[in-house]
Parts: sequence; C-alpha cells; structure tokens
Amino acid sequence: MSGIRLAALSVVFLLASGLGYAQNGGQSGDQNRAQNGKLTPFDQLPDWTGTWTMIGDTVFDQATRVGKGNAWTPGVREHPPYNDVYEKKYDDHIALRDAYKFPDTNNFCGIPVNYPRILNLPDAYEFVVRPDEFYIIAENGENAMRVYTDGRPLPPKEDLWGTYTGVSVGHWEGDTLVFETVGLKGDRDNDAILDRTGAVLSDVAHVTTRVRKINDNMLQFVVTIEDPKALTKPWVVTKQFRKQKPGLFLYDYGCAENNRNPVDKATGEVLTLDPNGKPVH
Amino acid sequence: MKSLRVVFFMLLAAVPALAHHGGAEYDSKTIVLTGTIKEFQFTNPHSWIQVDVKDQTGKVVEWNVEWGSPNTLTRQGVHPSSFPVGAKGTFKVHPVKTGAPIASFVGVKFEDGTTVGKFDAPDATE
Repeated sequence: MSGIRLAALSVVFLLASGLGYAQNGGQSGDQNRAQNGKLTPFDQLPDWTGTWTMIGDTVFDQATRVGKGNAWTPGVREHPPYNDVYEKKYDDHIALRDAYKFPDTNNFCGIPVNYPRILNLPDAYEFVVRPDEFYIIAENGENAMRVYTDGRPLPPKEDLWGTYTGVSVGHWEGDTLVFETVGLKGDRDNDAILDRTGAVLSDVAHVTTRVRKINDNMLQFVVTIEDPKALTKPWVVTKQFRKQKPGLFLYDYGCAENNRNPVDKATGEVLTLDPNGKPVH
Repeated sequence: MKSLRVVFFMLLAAVPALAHHGGAEYDSKTIVLTGTIKEFQFTNPHSWIQVDVKDQTGKVVEWNVEWGSPNTLTRQGVHPSSFPVGAKGTFKVHPVKTGAPIASFVGVKFEDGTTVGKFDAPDATE
C-alpha cells in the first residue's frame, strides 16, 4: 500500500511541477467558477505555493487533549454536536484513550487518514492549485487528497462506496476555493477517526470546505460538516496553516520504517518496542 | 560538531512532536537523566535516542527516549549527527507514567556545554 501511495504522490508532484502557478486576477466568483467545461486559467488562480504547517494541536476537540480534561464540561470544547448514539461512541473512545487502549489508526502505518483529519497532521504540507484540480499533499503519512475543479459534478450515489477521503469537487469564488466532499466511509470499519480523541463521523457525512488566504502567510480552511446520522446540527471547525520560509525540503515519511509504537491487536494497547523489537516494560 | 547540536527554534516547533501516537502515555513532569548515548535512530515515524543511564544501584539501564519525525527535526536544525554515540550528557525528559525506561525528549546539555532541544527553556524544569 505504501508503494502505491508513494507512486500516486510522485504523479502529483510531476504534474504540479510541470505546470507552475499563478497569481489571482481579481475575477468575481461567477467569472472564476469553472462552468460549461471552461477551466479557471492559471493567471486567475491564487498563489498558495510554498511549504505550510498546521497551527495548533492535532485534535479538533481541544478540551480532550490531555486526560479527561473538560471533556464532559458543557460549553468549553470544540465539541461535535453529536446525537446520543454518537456521543456515547465518543465518550467510549475518550475513555479508551485515557486507558491507553485507543488504537489510533496512525499506529498501523499504512491506513490513510480521512477527511477532514488530513488537516490535522504534523510535519509539512503543500497545497497545489491547478485549473482542473486542487491537491492537499501532507508530508505526514504520507497522505494526499484530490479536489476536482474542472466543473464536473459529484459522482452518482451508486458510485460512492465510502473511502477515507471520499470524493471532492469544487469551484472558485474569487480567491476562495469551495469544495464538497462525500463518499466518506465514516465509522463503518472503525478506522477513520477525525483525531486521536476518537471523534468520528458516519458514512452519510457531507462536508463543505472553504479555503482562502487570510493574509500573505496564513491559509485558512473552514470546514462545515453535516451528518444527519451522527450530528444534531452542522459542526464547523477551522484549521489554519502558516507559510514557512522559502527553500525548505520535504521528505518521504515511511511510517513503517521504524514504528516502535505498534498496536497490540488483542488489547488495543499501544506498545513501545526497544531497538530490537521487543516490548519495553 | 558543536554547531550541529544547536537547535534553532522556528515556527515549526509549535507542532506537537509525537502526533503519531499522541503522547498521552507520557507524564507532564520533567525528570533529569545523566547518561551516555548508545544509539540515535533518526527514523520515521519518530526519532529515538537510546541512552545508557546508571540507576541508584549502579546498574546500567537503557532508556528509550522518543522525539519527533526526522522530517520536522531536520528543519529545526537537528541532524543525524546531533546525538553522537558515546557522548555524555544531562537529559531532561517526560517519562511514561508506568515507570518503564521510556520517555519523550525535552532537551540535553552535553559535557561541552552545547545543547539540543528545549534544555534551557523555562518550562523544561519543575
């Protein structure tokens, strides 16, 4: 699986490097939107080149960052507005996390992250803008996600079977990229969590994302999640990314290279191995 | 060598170092270990510093000290040569709550006075 993902990323890099980038031409939303098969030309697209890193922690629900924290205190956390069924699931996951028995899928080194978790990663990012597609390339994982901006509609429902990052189509409204994501597998297989607190969505989630530069060095994603099976109302979360100094190199990640924190499948416990591969007690 | 051990804290330092598995197993308290570097694994998903430390009985215990991914660390000025085998130093770490010789790295001061990590940061001691 890692080889396939690396090959896919290589294709993305080759495509992006050969086509270059351009500055925005100040067109209106209607003018910029890809319609009737017309692509927004490079010179009307914003410049999101460079290397970026996420600002803040790698969880959506900040109050669950350490221990139980304020996880059960109303009004103090960026809490998914879960219905009773999914609130119970979330509380169970946090309790397992606090017992060190919550199997974060990152520890399996090979399962990709989902959307929107791909916005919740350490290490560096690249955001590749082209007339026909937008790519999120996360160094961590490695993980990649495609958003089609060539005017195509979302696939018909019979072609959506549920994947980690789903299917995304988008358009430009001035300098803002707006895209919809569907076809997410959600918690079907218990391997698509939003962060290590164990926040999950269902398989009917519909995510709308608005991306824009809020200044020269900050890119902002506003993510609105609608999920009638899991949420009582739309859940809006924001992730911001800071541009890094020019000239940085990014590298492959190779999570399986030296994963000394595998999951004991019998207990769900995250182990720590010594240099010889034996658990440390 | 001295320059190789100096860490430049840039904006990247704000990113949690142990996001691969969260780091909830580590205590927030900082302890001090004095030991000798046995091995430095500059590998993904996390780097590991193996440190031989004498316990109170004089027995040598090998500590497993975890740090961030080499991808992020290299952009902070850390290199594969930043932890030379055989170098002696004073380490500040967050130990696991179970008492096992496992910890997350905070900082080190080597015998020549050079430092790596947040050894001198105000929040690195208790």
